[in-house]
Formats: sequence, C-alpha cells, structure tokens
Amino acid sequence: MKKTLAMILVLMFVLSAACMAETVTFKMGFDAEYPPYTYLGDDGNYTGFDIEMAQGVCDILGWEIEFVPINWDTKLFSLDAGEIDCIWSGLTIDVIDPEAYTLSMAYSDNSQMILTKADSGIATIDDLAGKIVGVQLGTSADILLSGDCADLAATFGDLVRFENYNVCFTELMAGSIDAIAIDIGVAANKIAEYGDEYVMLDESWAAEKYGICFRKDDAEMCAQVEGAFMQLVEDGTYIALAEKYGLDTSALCLAAE
Amino acid sequence: MKILEINHMRKHFGDLEVLNDISLSVEEGQVVSIIGPSGSGKSTLLRCATLLETMDGGDLAYLGKYAARDVSGKAVYASSAELRSIKSSFGLVFQNFNLFPHYSVLKNITEAPILIQKRPKDEVYAHARELLKQMGLADREDAYPYQLSGGQQQRVSIARALAMQPKILFFDEPTSALDPELTGEILKVIRDLAAQHMTMVIVTHEMAFARDVSDHVIFMDGGVIVEQGNPFNIINNPQQERTIQFLSRFN
Amino acid sequence: MTITAMILKMSEGLGRTFSIFALTLVFSLPLGLIIALLRMSKIKPIRYIAQVYISIMRGTPLMLQLLVVAYGPFYLFGFSVARNKLIPIIIAFSLNYAAYYAEIYRGGIEAMPVGQYEAASVLGYSKMQTFMRIILPQVVKHILPSITNEVITLVKDTSFAFTLAYQEMFSIGKQIANSQTSFMPFVIAGVFYYVFNMLVAFLMNRLENRLNYYR
Repeated sequence: MKKTLAMILVLMFVLSAACMAETVTFKMGFDAEYPPYTYLGDDGNYTGFDIEMAQGVCDILGWEIEFVPINWDTKLFSLDAGEIDCIWSGLTIDVIDPEAYTLSMAYSDNSQMILTKADSGIATIDDLAGKIVGVQLGTSADILLSGDCADLAATFGDLVRFENYNVCFTELMAGSIDAIAIDIGVAANKIAEYGDEYVMLDESWAAEKYGICFRKDDAEMCAQVEGAFMQLVEDGTYIALAEKYGLDTSALCLAAE
Repeated sequence: MKILEINHMRKHFGDLEVLNDISLSVEEGQVVSIIGPSGSGKSTLLRCATLLETMDGGDLAYLGKYAARDVSGKAVYASSAELRSIKSSFGLVFQNFNLFPHYSVLKNITEAPILIQKRPKDEVYAHARELLKQMGLADREDAYPYQLSGGQQQRVSIARALAMQPKILFFDEPTSALDPELTGEILKVIRDLAAQHMTMVIVTHEMAFARDVSDHVIFMDGGVIVEQGNPFNIINNPQQERTIQFLSRFN
Repeated sequence: MTITAMILKMSEGLGRTFSIFALTLVFSLPLGLIIALLRMSKIKPIRYIAQVYISIMRGTPLMLQLLVVAYGPFYLFGFSVARNKLIPIIIAFSLNYAAYYAEIYRGGIEAMPVGQYEAASVLGYSKMQTFMRIILPQVVKHILPSITNEVITLVKDTSFAFTLAYQEMFSIGKQIANSQTSFMPFVIAGVFYYVFNMLVAFLMNRLENRLNYYR
C-alpha cells in the first residue's frame, strides 16, 4: 500500500516536472496581408518587421513561436477565444480599450498620412475637400476616419473602403480615387516600391502608436515580451530590422540607453 | 370459404358521404365486378378494402381475420404487424400500373416476395419467370418499364401482384389508361385467371367483359349498392331505374 | 517570386480547400435529407422548426454563420471551437449547405407520384423500405442536376473560409498578391477553381449518365 502510494507520488512528480519543462508556445496573431510588418515573403514564409521582432523576442525567452494568420476584422475574437496569445501586426493600440486588454508599450509612433499621385494637385489636408479617398477596411486610418476623425472624413467627396491597400493602389493608379489615407510606415514602403510618381503629404492628420495587445490576464506575458523587446532595442536589432523593412525610422520611439 | 368480408363500410370526405353502409362478401374462386358511374364510390371501396384509405366505420376481414372491426360505429384497425400480414393475402392492380421505373421487370416482380415475404430467392425467381411466360413476356425480364407498351406494363403489374401469391386480386379499372387496341390483351389475361379460379374483384367500365367474366355484378351509385346479382340479369335486364339509366349509356 | 513559386505555395492550400469541399458534402448531403424529412413531418412544431432553420440558413450570409459558429460558443459558454479552424468551418458550411439541399430534396420528394407509395404499400413495404428503396433512388436521379449546381457553388464558396483566416488556397493567394503587388495569384486561383469545377462537372455528369438506364 505504502509502496503504491510512493510510486504514485513519484509518478506525479515526474509528470509535473515534465509539464514544467515543456517549452512555452507563443501564438503570435497577425494579419498576413500587412507588409512590411507582417506578410508572406518571397520564400513562401511569413516575414516582416513584426514577424522578425517576435521571433527575436521568443529566441531570447526560450519560447517556441507559432505564427497564426488571423482575419483582421475579427482579431479580438481570436484573441479572446485563445486562438492566439497576442495581436502583433502593426496594431494601433490607441483604438484598443486598455480596460479590457493588456497593452504593451508603443514600439512605433505611426502617424496617419495621405498618399496621392504626384500630379494630383493635392498638397495639403484641406485640398482633400470633395476628393475621393480610399482606405483599407479595418486599418487604423479607417477606424479613425469613421470615428474620431469623422469630421475630416466629412469634408471628402467620398470615403471608399477596400479590402486591402493593394486594391487601393490599383484604384489610385486607375484614377478612380484621388488619395489614400494610410499609416506612415506602409506609405513609405509603397512609395519606395512605386517610385516618385506618388507622394506623401508632409502633414499627418493623426498620430498613431503601434504596440502589442494581450488578453487582460496576461500582464505577466506582456512584461516578459516587453523585457525581451528592450534587449533587441539595446543590441540594435530594432533599428536594423526597421531599416531592412524600409520603415520610417523617425517613427521608432524606443531608443537604446 | 369467405375470402373477403365487408360489413357496413362507411367513409366520408368532409361532408360528402362516399360510402354508405356497404356490405359484401367474396367466396373463394368467385369473380365479382363492380360497375357504376364515376364518383359512385367504387374506387374508394377498393381503396378502403386494400387499406390505402381508412374507412370510418364497419368491418373488414380477409380469410376470417379482421383488419378492422366496427366498435360502436367506428372502425378500429388491427395493429400494424397484423395489417402487414393481412396485406399479403390480397393484391391490387392499378389503373396506372404504378410499376417502379428504376427496377427491371424481374426486380419489380421479385423484390417484394424476397424482401417482405422472405421467400427463398430461387423459388421466387422461378415463380416470376413462370408468371412472365404466362403473361407472354418471357423475353422481357431485363427490360425497364419505360421500354414497354402500356399493355405490357399492365401485364407486368399483374405478374407483380400474383408473385405475392394473394388469395384475392383487386383490379382498379385496369384498362382505363390503355389505348382501346391494348385493352383486349389485359382482358384476356384476366379471363385466363378467372379460368384458373383466381378470386378477383374488378372495378371496370367494360360492361360486356364484366358480364362474361364475372359470377356476380354489383352496381354502385351515390355511395350505395343499388343493385347486385347474376351478371346477365344486372347488365341485360336491370330492375332499378338508376341502373337502367347508367347502362343505357353503354348500349 | 516566380509564377511557379506562387503556384507551388498556393497548392499547399489546395488540400485544405479540398477538405472543406469534401467534408462539407459528406455531412451536408445526409443532413439535408434529414431536414427535408423534418420539413415534411406531419407534426406541426417539427415542420415549423425545420422551416425556420432553412429560412435562417438561406437568409443570412455564410460569412456571418462562420463567425457565429466559430466565436458564438466561446462568448456564450466560454468554450472555444476555433483552435482547429477546420471544425467550425465544416460545421458552418454543412449547416448552411444542408438547408439548400433540404429544399432540393423536398422538391424531389414532393414531385414523386403518389402511385409509387401506394404500389409499395399494397405490396407490404414498410414506410422505411418504401422510402429507401422506391422513393429515394428516383428522387436522387431527378434532383441530380440541381445538386450539381450547388456542388459547383460550394467549390467557389470554400474561399469564404478566409473569414476565419483558414489558410486555404485563396487566402494564400491573397497574401501573395498583397506582398508581391501582383494580380497573378488571382489568375492562378481562377484556374484552380475552374479546373476543380471541370472535374466536379465531369464526375457529376458520369453519375447522371449511370442513372440514365431508366426514365
């Protein structure tokens, strides 16, 4: 009897030790159509600034990373339901309710810009009056123009929502819209890609901050990620990756001490 | 021996009294024809007798076994298991044949005896082929119903009914859906069956045929039996005014 | 990214596209039959419930149904079915398609002449035997062209799985289109769907021919 009990105890100890030794799997939720932060690379693997940063963070923490593409429209559902452990994909944390979720520090100050054809005659935000402006559905530009910046949107001739910025660009090229409301990082990336036929207006119409969103009760996980993130800022990876992915380095709001 | 016995059968659809106190019995080997104008209730009588319709009141018995019994004016039916066993004592040939179009001629005839009566396959197939030969369709067992003429289809449906080895066979206007030149072949088959002393109840519009083939003729009108008796007397020398009127249309 | 690389990457999702298609058919075809029978039930409340079910499934977008199946259980009961996204997708697709199939079955069953039931009844077939042996085989032949229509629609509808970010062929195609700023993945997706449907049409046509032995 005693022997059996002892055996059970030993077994339980071994099992619990095995459980503890099991590596943490960090399910990173992202929009797979959001270059240069998170997208499908030429080699068929997910890549981007956020993808590489998350990989670096997990390497430091000894976690195994799992990349989980999500539907951006229902990202909070996916987080609530436990499909993913965080949303890390050029997420504008300003629009997330801090009472309901744990939000990381901002790792990028992402201003909202206007992108248009160089010969469009649009030079200032005021010039957009009566013009047709395109935006990607569910991006911070869309959310702001539908909410906090609705007054600005009201001056437009029309605000057209597209499923992604790719379609937006096609429409801009085709001349069916006059301008695109877009995050600064994405805009810089697009201009680099398309050349000087397109320009970004100097003034931003809203400032946005990028961060990582976790479930309310995952504050500890958030702190661990922030700690590892700062190590990558310290060792220069943060800047190096921003340059690699053509981010506007002026948006980088974290600096090595 | 009484094969079929119906006492005081009543049936109404809404306010319409379709069958009003119908009683009749059929002895073994007897051929009974039921004639009458359309709407007289003769088809409903057949459908109640073959359990396709439920009657409101009265008794219905096959070989002394009750399918339904009148309890203070209401027909109370036997259990479904009993009804299933009673069903194997009669067969019905429809006006529109109602063959199963997705089955070959042979399968139309053999499936029910094998599946429902659980008779040995060899015996059922042998019996079916014999019936087809009798119907003059020995070479058509692999055909599908759509490949047959109306007369041939009706002969298959008679074979299908006979394959169940019924004690009594009902015919519901078996030639009404056929072209006139095809009715003869069906009437001949029924005559042959009569010659073999098959017990039959035939609802028909063929007066000459009813007179020649039957032992007993029933004339129905307005849900009641108006006149019945010896075929020759009923058809050639009717007594009731309604019978005279009806038959005058055929002469 | 070369076109070959795009095709290869998108083919990785083709297996998932096919899983959605095949599993949906496996579950929705029998379920549709059951719903059709409930819809024709003699018991009024059952008939009514089936009617409401069909009207909701046909009257609301598949995309909405996908979200409700995937996240509804979590928000209502704290129970997540979305870990393996194929499960909510198959549930939603099957429930949705079963409603359409139910109406097709019902049309086919109601078109059967009453004489077939009567002939079977007189021969002593039970209700079940009558339905399985006499009615259903004939119904299947009659409704096959309508079923083919729905099956072809299903092939194209598999792309709705993107709602739950299930990485089937079209979702991957969209990601490539986005990162490569190329229209090519959509052309490839179009060819994939077209070939898939040619295959479906070919198989359904063969099935129809096999049932053409009678009229």
